[in-house]
Amino acid sequence: MSRIVAASKKPTWIALGIALALQTGLISLQARRRIDTSFVRVWILDSLAPMEKLVDRSTYSLGYVWKGYVALIGIHDENERLSHQVDELQMQLQRNREDLVELQRLRAMLSLSSSDTGKTVVARVIGRDPARSQTVTIDKGTTHGLRPDSAVITPAGIVGRVIHSSNFFSIVQLIVDSQSAVGVLLQSTRRQGIVRGTGGRELDLDYIDDDNDLKAGDTFLSSGLDRIYPKGLPVGVITSVGPRRGLLKTVQVRPSVDLGRLEEVICIIEHTENIDVADPAQGASSP
Amino acid sequence: MTIYPMPRASTFGIIGKFAVAIVAVVVIQGILSFKFTLFGFFDLPLIFSVFYGFTLGNPVASIVIGSSLGLMQDSLSGAVLGANGLSKTIIGFFAATAVAKFAVDQPVTRIFALFLFTIGDGLLVTILGLMVGPASGATYSGALSGWGLSAMFNALLGLVLFAYHDWWNATT
Repeated sequence: MSRIVAASKKPTWIALGIALALQTGLISLQARRRIDTSFVRVWILDSLAPMEKLVDRSTYSLGYVWKGYVALIGIHDENERLSHQVDELQMQLQRNREDLVELQRLRAMLSLSSSDTGKTVVARVIGRDPARSQTVTIDKGTTHGLRPDSAVITPAGIVGRVIHSSNFFSIVQLIVDSQSAVGVLLQSTRRQGIVRGTGGRELDLDYIDDDNDLKAGDTFLSSGLDRIYPKGLPVGVITSVGPRRGLLKTVQVRPSVDLGRLEEVICIIEHTENIDVADPAQGASSP
Repeated sequence: MTIYPMPRASTFGIIGKFAVAIVAVVVIQGILSFKFTLFGFFDLPLIFSVFYGFTLGNPVASIVIGSSLGLMQDSLSGAVLGANGLSKTIIGFFAATAVAKFAVDQPVTRIFALFLFTIGDGLLVTILGLMVGPASGATYSGALSGWGLSAMFNALLGLVLFAYHDWWNATT
């Protein structure tokens, strides 16, 4: 028996050696960046992501049937409440339209071009990373114009950037990932800074010109200086300003987008360069 | 005792079943992590690497299964390609070789193994990520607490899966 066990150990070590050499080789190639290993990722992504999409579509359809038919019981009261809400929102919309007209007039006066996010494509989130990094899988890839570093946003703000793309799917690194950083400016004072992901639910302020006037509730917008995200999109809101750690105060920022509930996202495949000009609000506040 | 070679169709059938199971594990992990934030703390590929290691007791098969699970996990995430592959390969190997040395049918052994493998996996993947990728802004205390939580969740889920496997074996 001992001979059988001893004899059967040889293929084990060979298999272990081959597997370790293969995985170490892949890692080493990425470190040296001499050979592009992205084809391995593209193959596997293109093979597995359709299954994720299929399951996602199936659960979505089931949810649609449930929400559209079964869950409609007792919907009348909610309908009434929503009708009132629609009336209020229509009034709000009218006021906003007036504000927009005024804003466009002021912009024209200041010779500023209206901001534009550029050419976009809407994608559906079909999965989250099966490892520990903060990424999601979306159902659009290079065929739809996406490429690494394409910005991904929602109407609520910045979501992240594409880091890997196959023909029909892409991996999006969320802004809360520990490898992610976004160039920001404080909405109130227009001070420039950088926020960095922590790997958790919040962002850390990594750099800012002056941190003396920071307070909870302040909003950070994208500065556009990182050349990935267009300028002026909401990034996050300061939740706490702690004591100084090194040169800067410890500032926690909650992302504007609820990254735990992503369903559909907007991918910017071509964005017009937003030239960082002095903001009228800053000019007015400066002496 | 004469050992007859396994029919070819049966071999392909077994390999096919394992391939389907491996793909299903990675896809289910991706979908459940997306639908339920809490599921992000679980690492189904790790649990199944240990599960196959313990139940098959075959190091070669466990290495192949662990390696495949890890590589697929890397491809569907932003992790360095090969980091989880390397980690799961080692886990599969150790889990299979542990069968001969420890009483892996005991719940305490299983919990302890899953807990240690999860911590080891987190450590190895993080170190490889730092070696290859750009410097991370994450705090080590945050990472440690994440691994701790993940280790507890994995140990509990693993225990349930192992118990189900034992019950299935006993009834069939």
